[in-house]
Amino acid sequence: MPVISPSAFASSDRRAANDPAASVPTALREKVRRLERANSVRRSGKAAAVPLGLPAIDALLPEGGLLTGALHEIEAGPCPSGRVAPHDGAALGFAAHLLGRFGPGTILWCRRTIGRFDAPPYAPTLSPWFDPARLLMVTAHRDEDLFWAMEEGLRCPGIAAVLGETRAADPTAGRRLSLAAEKNGVPALLLRAQPAPPQSVCATRWRIASAPSCSTPGLKDVGAARWRLELRRNRFGAPSIAEIPSWLVEWNDETHCLAVVPETLHGSSGQFFEERLFEERLVS
Amino acid sequence: MRLADARALVPDLVTTPGDPQADQRLIETIAGWCDRYTPWVAIDPLGGALAEEGSEACSAGGFGGDAGLLLDVTGCAHLFGHDEAGERALLADLVARLTRHDFTCRAAMADTAGAAWALARYAERQADLFCPRHGQRDALASLPVEGLRLEAPILETFVKLGLRRIGDLYPMPRAPLARRFGDLPLTRLDQALGARDEVLEPRRAVPAFRTRLSFVEPIGRPEDIAAATSRLLAALCRQFEQAGVGARKLEIALYRVDGSVDRTAIGTSRPNRDNPKLMKLFEEKLGELDPGFGVELMILAAPEVEAWSGTQDVLPEAGALALSLGADGTIDLADRLALRLGAENVVRLLPRDSHLPERVQVSVAVSSQPAADGAWRRLAGLKGARPTRLLQRPEPVEVTAFVPDDPPSVFHWRRHAHRIVRADGPERIADEWWRPRPDGSRPPANTVPPVRDYYRVEDDDGGRFWLFRDGPYKLAANGQPTARWFLHGFCA
Repeated sequence: MPVISPSAFASSDRRAANDPAASVPTALREKVRRLERANSVRRSGKAAAVPLGLPAIDALLPEGGLLTGALHEIEAGPCPSGRVAPHDGAALGFAAHLLGRFGPGTILWCRRTIGRFDAPPYAPTLSPWFDPARLLMVTAHRDEDLFWAMEEGLRCPGIAAVLGETRAADPTAGRRLSLAAEKNGVPALLLRAQPAPPQSVCATRWRIASAPSCSTPGLKDVGAARWRLELRRNRFGAPSIAEIPSWLVEWNDETHCLAVVPETLHGSSGQFFEERLFEERLVS
Repeated sequence: MRLADARALVPDLVTTPGDPQADQRLIETIAGWCDRYTPWVAIDPLGGALAEEGSEACSAGGFGGDAGLLLDVTGCAHLFGHDEAGERALLADLVARLTRHDFTCRAAMADTAGAAWALARYAERQADLFCPRHGQRDALASLPVEGLRLEAPILETFVKLGLRRIGDLYPMPRAPLARRFGDLPLTRLDQALGARDEVLEPRRAVPAFRTRLSFVEPIGRPEDIAAATSRLLAALCRQFEQAGVGARKLEIALYRVDGSVDRTAIGTSRPNRDNPKLMKLFEEKLGELDPGFGVELMILAAPEVEAWSGTQDVLPEAGALALSLGADGTIDLADRLALRLGAENVVRLLPRDSHLPERVQVSVAVSSQPAADGAWRRLAGLKGARPTRLLQRPEPVEVTAFVPDDPPSVFHWRRHAHRIVRADGPERIADEWWRPRPDGSRPPANTVPPVRDYYRVEDDDGGRFWLFRDGPYKLAANGQPTARWFLHGFCA
C-alpha cells in the first residue's frame, strides 16, 4: 500500500495550478464538469458540495467536498491482514460522519434485514454525528424495494440525505439513483458490508477498514477508533499522485471530530514514537 | 326428511354433501356485492343458523332457502328515483341483478327489518313484497306466525292455541302473553311493527364518507379506472372540507360485471384531504386491482377519518423538527413507503430510559411525536462506549481467558479466531428487576438479578467488538465455568 503524507497532496495541487501546461486540461475539465452539473445545482438551490472537515481529503474532492447531488459508495474493506472484514462498524461510522455533514432535514436510512443475524445501526452511538431523531428507518425485504424507497426519498424535498444498506450491485438501479440524486441535489449513499463490483456512476467510492487503535501508553485499553480510508474513485475530483489515495483517520469520541493521523512509516511506528515521548516525559 | 326417505321417494336423486363453510363464503360474497346499494349490509343471523342445521339434515339446496341478507337502505334509494319509486326501483334492480347471476331470491322492502324478513319469506303475492310506508301492520296481519322469527317450541304452542296468523296476536293482551311465552314474541312483534328499534349489525364498518360512480358501459382500462378514482376522490375531498375532517384510511371497491368485488385500501399517517397526494397513494395501489371483464360501479369510502387541523400540529418540544416533517412532505413520503413496504417497516426511532442496551432504542410509527432535540445525545452521554451496530440476538462465542475475570485473550466467532490485543471493561449492566420478564413473569424476590459484564475489545486486525459475559465467573460442580460469552455488537 503506497503511503503518502497529506502534505504531499497539497503541494502537488499547487504545482498543478501554477504550471500553465497542466492548467489547460484542468480548466477544460472544470468547464465540462460545471456544464454537466450546472442545472442540478441551480435547481436544488443547495450547496454543491459539503466539506468532510478533513482538509487533506477535501483538497482532492470536487468543489472542495462531497458533492450533494451525487451517488457515493462506502464499502467495508478487508482487514490489514487481508482477511474479509468481520463487520462494517467502521464503514457505518464513516457513513454516519458523512450524513452528519449534509444539511438539516430528515435522513432516510433504508436497509435490508438478514433474518436472525441482523444487526441494525444503534442510534445512541450515531448521536455524535447527527441527531437520530432525524432518522426515518425503512426496512425492505427485497433489493428492488430498497432501491425504490431510496429513489422516492431522493425526490422528496425534505430529505437531507438517503442511505441504502445493501449488498446488491445493480447497475440500472445505481444509474437511476445517481440521476435522481443529481436532479434533486440530494446525496445518495450506498453502504456495503462487503466490497461489491463498482458502480460506474458513483461520484466517489470509499473503502473503509478498521485500523488498530492507539492505546494509552502503558495500558492495553481500546483507544479512539481509527479507520483506514481509501478513496477508490473520485469522479470529478482532482487527480492524485497515488493510484488509490489512502489515509489513516481517527474519530475522537470526546471532541467529536475526525482527524487525519500523520503517517511517516508503516505500521504502528507513530504509536512507538508516542510511547517513547510519553516515557521521556515520565523520566523528566 | 331423511336422506334414506328421500332416496326411497326419488331413486335417482342427485345428492351432494353439504359444505357450510362454502355456503358461508358465498353469502359473504353476495353481502359484499350488496355494498353497491348500501354500506349497511348484515347477514341474517337466523338464516346462517338455519343453513347449518339444514346441511346437517341434508336438506336439498345449499341454504335450504333460509339464508338471508338484511340491507338498511335508508337514504340510499334516491339514487334510483324519488321516494317510493326509488325504493321500488332499487328492489327491482336488486332482484334483477341477482337473478342474472342465477340466484333464486325473494326480496322485500318494509319500514322495519322484521317486517321485511317476514314478507320476503311468507308473502303470498308478488305485489305484497313491497310494503308502503307505515303499512307493515296491515301487511303482516295475514302472514303466518313463523314470520316473527321465533323458536320452534313457541311456534308450536302458538299453533296449538290457534294463533296462526300474526294478525291474531294484535288483539291479545300483552301481559299474559309475556307471562306465558317470555319477552321474545312481543319483542319480535314490536320490532316488526316498528314500535321497538332493532339495530342491524353491519357486516363491515359503515364509513361516514362515501362516494360512488356507476358507468353505463363497463370500464376496464387502467387509465379509465385512474380517472374515475380521481373524480371520486375530488367528490370525497369536497365532503371532507364541508365536514372539517381528513382521511386516515380510504378504501376503493370495484364492482365488476361478473358480480365480484375487488377492494384495496390506502392509509395515511395524519388526516389528509389533499387530493393530489391521496391520488398519488392510490396510483401505487390501482395496479393491484383487477378489472376483470369490466367495472360497472366504483365506490370510494373513508372508513377512518379524523378532525382536520389544517396543518401538522406544532409540537412544543421539537417544534422545528415536527414542522419540517409536516411541511416538507416527509410524512407524505413515509405514507408512500408504508403503503408498499408495510407500516411496520417505516419507523422512527425513540430513545427509552433503560439500562439494557437492546431496550434503549424503540421503533415507533412515523406519525408519533419525534424525540426531543438533544434527547439522544443526553442518553448517549449517560452510557459508556457503545457499538455502531447492535446484534438483535447476541451470538454465543467461544472464549479463552487466562485470568477468569479478565477480558478474554481469544474469542472464536463464526469459525474465525480473533486474538484480542486491546480491551476495555468490564462495564456491568444488571437486569432491570422492576420490570416483568419477556414471558410476563416477575423475577422472584430476594434473588440477585442476572448481570452482564460488557467488554469492548479490539483484535489484532483492528476490528472492534462488544462482548459480554452473562454473569460473574463461577465454576460449576463439574469444573466447567457457568458463565457464557456473547457477542452483542460491532464498534466503529
